[in-house]
Amino acid sequence: MVSGVKSAKESFFASPLYDFLSPFRPVANQYYAEYVIVIFALVIRCAVGLGSFSGEGVSPLFGDFEAQRHWMELTTNIPISQWYWFDLQYWGLDYPPLTAYHSLLLGKLGSLFNPEWYALGSSRGLELPALKAYMRFTVILSEAALYIPGVIYFTKWFGIKRRQSPIGTYIAAAAILFQPSLILIDHGHFQYNSVMLGLTVYAINNLLDGFHGPAAVCFVLSLTFKQMSLYYSPVFFAYLLSRSLFSPSFNVSRFISVALHTLISFAVLFFPLYKFGGLKNVLQSIHRVFPFARGIFEDKVANFWCVSNVFFKYAENYSQIQLQKLSIAATGAGFLPAFLLIFLYPKKHMLPFALAACSMAFFLFSFQVHEKSILVPLLPITLLYCSTNWNVLSMVSWINNVALFTLWPLLKKDNLTIQYVVMLILSNWLIGNFSFCTPRFLPHFLTPGPSVSDVGDSYRRRSLLPESVIWKLIIITSYLAMGLIHCLDVFVEPPSTLPDLWVLMNCALGFSCFALFWLWNNYKLFTLRNKSFEDF
Amino acid sequence: MAKTAKKAKASVSVSQNNPKFSLWNFWVSGTLLKLLLIPGYFSTDFDVHRNWLAITNKLPLKLWYVEDTSQWTLDYPPFFAYFEWFLSQVVPKVVQKDGCLDIVKVGRFGMPTVIFQRLTVIASETLLYVVLQVFINKSEMTDRSANFVVASSIVLSPGFLIIDHIHFQYNGFLFAILIASIVAAKHQKYLQCALFFTIALCFKHIFLYLAPSFFVFLLRVYVLDFSNFKFRSYNDLISVVQWKNLLKLGGVVVTVFTACFAPFIAQWPQLLKRLFPFSRGLTHAYWAPNFWAIYSLLDKVLTLCVMKVPYVHRFLSQFIGPPLIPETLAEIQSRLQQYNGGTKGLVQDVSFVILPQVQPKLTFFLTLFYQVLALVPVLFSPSFKRFIGSLTLCGFASFLFGWHVHEKAIMLVIIPFSFLVTSDRRLLTPFLLAVSAGYVSLFPLLHSSQEFLLKILYTLVWSIVYSLALRQVTKISSSVQRRVFFFDRFALFYIIMLLPLVIGVQLLEALKWRYSVLQKFEFAGLMIYSIYCSIGILSSWVGLSWLYNFDEPLWM
Repeated sequence: MVSGVKSAKESFFASPLYDFLSPFRPVANQYYAEYVIVIFALVIRCAVGLGSFSGEGVSPLFGDFEAQRHWMELTTNIPISQWYWFDLQYWGLDYPPLTAYHSLLLGKLGSLFNPEWYALGSSRGLELPALKAYMRFTVILSEAALYIPGVIYFTKWFGIKRRQSPIGTYIAAAAILFQPSLILIDHGHFQYNSVMLGLTVYAINNLLDGFHGPAAVCFVLSLTFKQMSLYYSPVFFAYLLSRSLFSPSFNVSRFISVALHTLISFAVLFFPLYKFGGLKNVLQSIHRVFPFARGIFEDKVANFWCVSNVFFKYAENYSQIQLQKLSIAATGAGFLPAFLLIFLYPKKHMLPFALAACSMAFFLFSFQVHEKSILVPLLPITLLYCSTNWNVLSMVSWINNVALFTLWPLLKKDNLTIQYVVMLILSNWLIGNFSFCTPRFLPHFLTPGPSVSDVGDSYRRRSLLPESVIWKLIIITSYLAMGLIHCLDVFVEPPSTLPDLWVLMNCALGFSCFALFWLWNNYKLFTLRNKSFEDF
Repeated sequence: MAKTAKKAKASVSVSQNNPKFSLWNFWVSGTLLKLLLIPGYFSTDFDVHRNWLAITNKLPLKLWYVEDTSQWTLDYPPFFAYFEWFLSQVVPKVVQKDGCLDIVKVGRFGMPTVIFQRLTVIASETLLYVVLQVFINKSEMTDRSANFVVASSIVLSPGFLIIDHIHFQYNGFLFAILIASIVAAKHQKYLQCALFFTIALCFKHIFLYLAPSFFVFLLRVYVLDFSNFKFRSYNDLISVVQWKNLLKLGGVVVTVFTACFAPFIAQWPQLLKRLFPFSRGLTHAYWAPNFWAIYSLLDKVLTLCVMKVPYVHRFLSQFIGPPLIPETLAEIQSRLQQYNGGTKGLVQDVSFVILPQVQPKLTFFLTLFYQVLALVPVLFSPSFKRFIGSLTLCGFASFLFGWHVHEKAIMLVIIPFSFLVTSDRRLLTPFLLAVSAGYVSLFPLLHSSQEFLLKILYTLVWSIVYSLALRQVTKISSSVQRRVFFFDRFALFYIIMLLPLVIGVQLLEALKWRYSVLQKFEFAGLMIYSIYCSIGILSSWVGLSWLYNFDEPLWM
């Protein structure tokens, strides 16, 4: 009886991840499983970090690695009043103040080892192996300090709430931690997204525990680390507002507490800028953070504007201001359903869905979206790995693959081909997406996990596809299309008139998959509104 | 939903009764991790193997062991040369253009060569998985889970990860052949055992250190038969020998050796010179964590004492004559000036100031002596366990006392020991000491900082998983009350202290530029590593020897 219930609750039954972790099932060992998962996740991150980073050896502007290094150089050497003004042409600081403080801390620490790394001016474009190792180390450290504990707490919370076995929750945590896109962007391409995402997860965790004030603080921290987490703000706003206004009842003290927490944390974070540069400095930082002067999209990205631009040239028909208004309207319309649903039904298990729907709307319709911004909607989507519903898991795994696919042009530019392929295979294989082929093509004694005859159908169809035939068709078609585009990319030269054809096809496919997922996500949110926690 | 639940429940119960132990998952995940390591650091061994590819591809057989354009001459036995020749046949065009097959002084190559060579290591390592899967499948149902733990601990070993996939060598594949011979011995297929071991020997002659054990074991169990032996006259000794078996065994060994060395018979002296370069120093590159590391530390300490503390020298000379210690303080001074390698540690040829110099003959004698000690019990009561025990001790003896020992040679100890450890709980402590000290002593091989976190974390997670798993599957012997708990705790403390050691040494390295004191002791980090690790390995050896010689029931 117990084991039956247990298996039903275990989402990734018979996947390699399950096989690896089931030896830790005995109570005495469960304690270790967590560490083993975390360390292996870190090992993979270290190994990805051996590869090249964005803009390696590409003088004179280099890439994101140089940008981050330059900010450390800038913040450690220049007074605060100048941070947002200094040499804006060469990677001027354009992230909110917490990023600057983070850079300051890491820059100071790094200067202990070697002051040359962050010497003002002379260190530009520095690519020493030791510097690279240190920078990679700081990303891992930031992630290990924020993102990983946050995710583990989240999965544990859901696991306990739904009486999952501890191993089941660890498997979910491992599935989330092995999400390929974040690993490749943070540890391959080089960025600190995990800090922003980690702080967001802490905000969610605080909401789950009912600490509304601290949740607001965490979210403000996330927002002041990277403005991209603005994509989540409508949902957090709606949830907090609804919780203090009428759910379960009007609660003035909660309302005031949330408001004060938000205001004070904003004030504290911007205070140093104000203290050392006056209001002008604060306004400059905000101006730098929101660059409305740029185009509606930059580079090729799998969102509505970039893809529809093929048929309708926006830049030729509308002015910049008109486009801004248009995109704001579209984004508003896009996140409205999620906003209303979470406002009217502020339930904890709806949070990941609502965040996903809202941030996906931002990704699809808002202004100035980068391909890397997909990591923002991907976080709440990936958190859904702790669901036990096969359909949800399948959709999540699918959209993770699509997201990774849309990052391919970027990773190719960064020379991260091996890392891309390996992470694609590893993440899918671990959660059992390739299990459909393992039992058939291997000798019997090599078949891992429960033997085929024991599990029968439920094991054979392990390839994370939803039950609905239409979705199956859509997903399989999209996979085939991805394979086709990859083949074209490798073997066929694009026509000289359209050098970006394959990238554009990539974006178009990515956009259509994201849009379909977004529709499904909204539908799912709608059906969940009256359901209890157990059906999640 | 309920239906799947029921099925899942059935499967859980069935799979517990009929467990399937497959290395497939380990192979997939291991291979993926190793692919990620491709752009990482590699040592000069990479160029060594690339040069061998070039030599075997471009030159006729008779010049293989003569060619010396590059300083990385071919110094592995011919089977390995054939293996390189085979690999050189499948080098793709892109890689050839990249300079993979050029015989030059220093290799000039790019990413294609790196990818190709790394892939050959990964592909050849598959043999290790195959052999160990056979080992699991052939074992008794009752031992299967224990053997599975052992096999997976070997395939995931940080040793192979560090030496093969980062530092660059082909040990996974070579040890697979050695393991094949151990598995054959376990199943009493002695001819196969001899065959595989001889092949392994013809691939890499470092296995010669284990040869005495194989020789004595096969002699005793396969060639000599004492079951009907009664000593009446010396003629009876002849009837003890099973001549038919001896011929078969000899035939196998001679055939393999002929296949290996016959083509090179004309260059025989040259080949020998290449395989056994006795001109090298006592230690390789820096101190391997063996007996000589402690010996040299003792020398340093004594020098310091004699030089700084008055009367010590006069006191000592009362008892010890001039050939053993220098006659006057002036002589010590001059020796110090002359060697100047005193505090360094990165040395090709080491000389001692106070203690007597170590001659190759001495190291050879010491190695042989401890090997013979390990072999005698096999001669009297040959059992598979005893054989593995003697194998491990032979590895230990050669590692601890040998001439020009590579720190990588610790794998010669760890691999046989792995097959032993599950048989008794008391062996676990020496085993854990040997693996932790052994693997940590490999860390300085990867001196670049980018692999620092990777090597520590991987070794850490490996030790957590396998100290846990081995503790579960090892048998607790009836004589467990004789276990000395104090030493277990002490060993645990030693193992845990390795972590601050590694991090501390790395910090010292990183902060060296700041403090001139640290620059003076440039190689202090390496010294600390080898001294601390040699303590662990020596104690592991003492622990195993104790059990091997004084605990009869364990080995039956």
